[in-house]
Amino acid sequence: MKAVEVKDLTFSYDQETNAVEGVTFSVEKGTYTTIIGHNGSGKSTVAKLITGLLEKKSGSIVIDGLELNEDNLRELRNRIGIVFQNPDNQFIGSTVRDDIAFGLENHCVEQSEMDGIIEEFAAKVRMSDYLNHEPTRLSGGQKQRVAIAGVLAMHPDIIVFDEATSMLDPQGKEEIKKLINELHHDRGLTILSITHDIEEVTAGDYVIAMNRGKVAVCGTPEELFRDTDRLKSIGLQLPFALQFEEELAKQGVKISRNITMEGLVEELCRLNSNM
Amino acid sequence: MPIKFEHVSHIYSDGTPFRYVALQDTNLEFREGAFTALIGQTGSGKSTLVQHINALLLPSEGTVYVMDREIKAGSEPKGLKSLRKDVGLVFQFPEYQLFEETVLKDVAFGPKNFGISQAEAEEKAKAALRLCGLSQEYDERSPLELSGGQKRRVAIAGILAMDPKVLVLDEPTAGLDPQGALSMMKLFRDLNQKHGKTIIMVTHDMEQVFSFCDEVVVMEDGRPKIQTTVQEFFRDSSLCEEMNILPPALIRLKDALKKNGFEIDEDVKDIRTLAKLTAKQVKHHG
Amino acid sequence: MGNITLGRYIPLDSPIHKLDPRAKIGAMLLILIAIFFPAGWIGYAIIFAAVSYIIIRSRLSISFIWKSMRPMLIMLVFLLIINVLVIHTGVPLFSIGPLTVYSEAILQTLYIVVRLLLMIMITTCLTATTKPLDMTLGLEDLLKPFEKIGVPSHEIAMLISIALRFIPDLIDETNRIIKAQESRGVDLKEGKLMERIMAILSLIVPLFVSAFQRAEDLANAMEARGYQPGEKRTRYKVLKMKGADWALLLGAALVLAGMVWLAYFR
Repeated sequence: MKAVEVKDLTFSYDQETNAVEGVTFSVEKGTYTTIIGHNGSGKSTVAKLITGLLEKKSGSIVIDGLELNEDNLRELRNRIGIVFQNPDNQFIGSTVRDDIAFGLENHCVEQSEMDGIIEEFAAKVRMSDYLNHEPTRLSGGQKQRVAIAGVLAMHPDIIVFDEATSMLDPQGKEEIKKLINELHHDRGLTILSITHDIEEVTAGDYVIAMNRGKVAVCGTPEELFRDTDRLKSIGLQLPFALQFEEELAKQGVKISRNITMEGLVEELCRLNSNM
Repeated sequence: MPIKFEHVSHIYSDGTPFRYVALQDTNLEFREGAFTALIGQTGSGKSTLVQHINALLLPSEGTVYVMDREIKAGSEPKGLKSLRKDVGLVFQFPEYQLFEETVLKDVAFGPKNFGISQAEAEEKAKAALRLCGLSQEYDERSPLELSGGQKRRVAIAGILAMDPKVLVLDEPTAGLDPQGALSMMKLFRDLNQKHGKTIIMVTHDMEQVFSFCDEVVVMEDGRPKIQTTVQEFFRDSSLCEEMNILPPALIRLKDALKKNGFEIDEDVKDIRTLAKLTAKQVKHHG
Repeated sequence: MGNITLGRYIPLDSPIHKLDPRAKIGAMLLILIAIFFPAGWIGYAIIFAAVSYIIIRSRLSISFIWKSMRPMLIMLVFLLIINVLVIHTGVPLFSIGPLTVYSEAILQTLYIVVRLLLMIMITTCLTATTKPLDMTLGLEDLLKPFEKIGVPSHEIAMLISIALRFIPDLIDETNRIIKAQESRGVDLKEGKLMERIMAILSLIVPLFVSAFQRAEDLANAMEARGYQPGEKRTRYKVLKMKGADWALLLGAALVLAGMVWLAYFR
């Protein structure tokens, strides 16, 4: 079952050049897919298109088997949530409680049920102790956690993270990454994460690499990293483990292509003890 | 002359319920000509510290010495303009300070404020723009229509055009993609090594500290906790772990290999040398 | 910024803070109207007593109230000068040079000043004890009847609450831009006219650019979470009038009635 199916998607901001052109990909239900590409490659535009924030020029977007159009936009928004980059600019309420309530109000949830829902989802993102805090008293990571709670309260099947950790400090980044992994593993949510973090890419199930508004590579992380030259030509870095393996190869030691540090160390140890 | 902090404290909103001590009894010296990284958790006082260097913030207690100037708590600072010319401070997301109609005008804005002629300011602006990798074709474009990375280069050129001796950078690569961040860091290295600028950079990125900087200052709770060379700081993971910092990948790999019986010299600091050492031992066994 | 007391919310735990904002706004309006009846000094004494009672119950410090009234002192001096120059009725009290000060001038000034001070006390009391957001909720409810004649009460309230939410962020942003431009040699305090114009431009343009960016982000975030202006939505915060709220309104109505009686039926 496909969670998201995008076919031949094209979009233009200025009617002249296409910011997104002929983009085709699909995301399996329950998978963790990352989208990478340098700034301006069209990743964020794709995120806005599939969440219905931008209107496509041509092509089709199918969410959970339903083609996205103006009539079902509202309904599909319940199924696909999005967390943006800037923690400040998506915090709408004056307190954590109010911010989570904002989405519930929009979806006409009964007032009597709101407190229960708010508390449930605040607990899921570990923000129960901060319910009455104002945004100025929260860290970037905490604000992003509130944003995630707000999205979760809509019971989506798919969550898009549009560089949701890029403005956070290392501590905040870790918090959010951990939370995203939990959502994926424990709740079986489909995750679509737009990122620059190559290590996050290696941890995902699938990866879509974008370049100049088009899909350059679409497959598993191993497949993406197989073609090193292609990767470099679209301006992407290799994960550290692969960089090291390249250096080893120059020294005449060829090992299998591990994309994670753990895999690399394990293999080297095996070779080293192999008398 | 170096930059020196002597018993410097900074208290925000003193005498109100919002009183907050951001910097306390800080003693610190930044070596002239060095590329120093200033690290530490959010709220540890990094940003407050750097804003003292060009007297945007004044010490509540203590004295800051910047080259031959003295900024003392409680006294009105003298020669502010010349200080701000000598110490170029690049804020986080500096692209938000662009406002002129053209790139050239915006970059020339700084030098003009320091009282040089229009023509001379434009000369300096052009030189700074080329230094930041922006060719002549950008001169007459509106800064607002450039890409994020280009805007940031324009903003940095705007500071460089004032020809500062010291460059203070507050998370200069935040929000850039890895490629953009790398070329920005190479620019700073050039400015430091070829143009002799003293650089103080606030960052969270240990890979950058490891690959580009000479010295490290770690801030904790408004005080410098560690000041040492980059070499020393990343000798192994222990200092990083103590400070709750994820060490650079190379150090993590080195430590993991050592833990697993590889013999690796402490001073290894580039990927090639580490690969060589590892390859030798693997081959020996194989 | 820290010195502004007028209109600032003071978070305290008092019975007045807990009152329904609609009751507070209603009571304030009633008392403001009451002040305009010429009920004489007894009337003002009654209003003063009522307001003082509220202030004491709200646990606001006297010095806070005093601070919010202080800007009015300049007004007082100004009024006094005008009245002394213009009013020549009543008993001549004393002379300064060619100018004779009459009792009526002093009395008139005091009259206006007392009214002004009472008004400020009342509005300060409202703003200091009511969270800005609760105030907008109250306003939304009070404006609801006007929806029939096309007043978008909900949208107005949403607009105000978002503006309130982003004021601290915008102040931070402004301070950052000021610092960034000061680092580029901008001098906001001195300089020739042209330099000052440039200095102000160097703040305003970036502020606008960032405010627009913010607005765009915010619009996306709101839309993504299902907000559609004009569409039906439920409300998390529902205001409920309790006994104390009705008591406040009743009290305010009594004061108003008392003033009317003192002014016309005595």
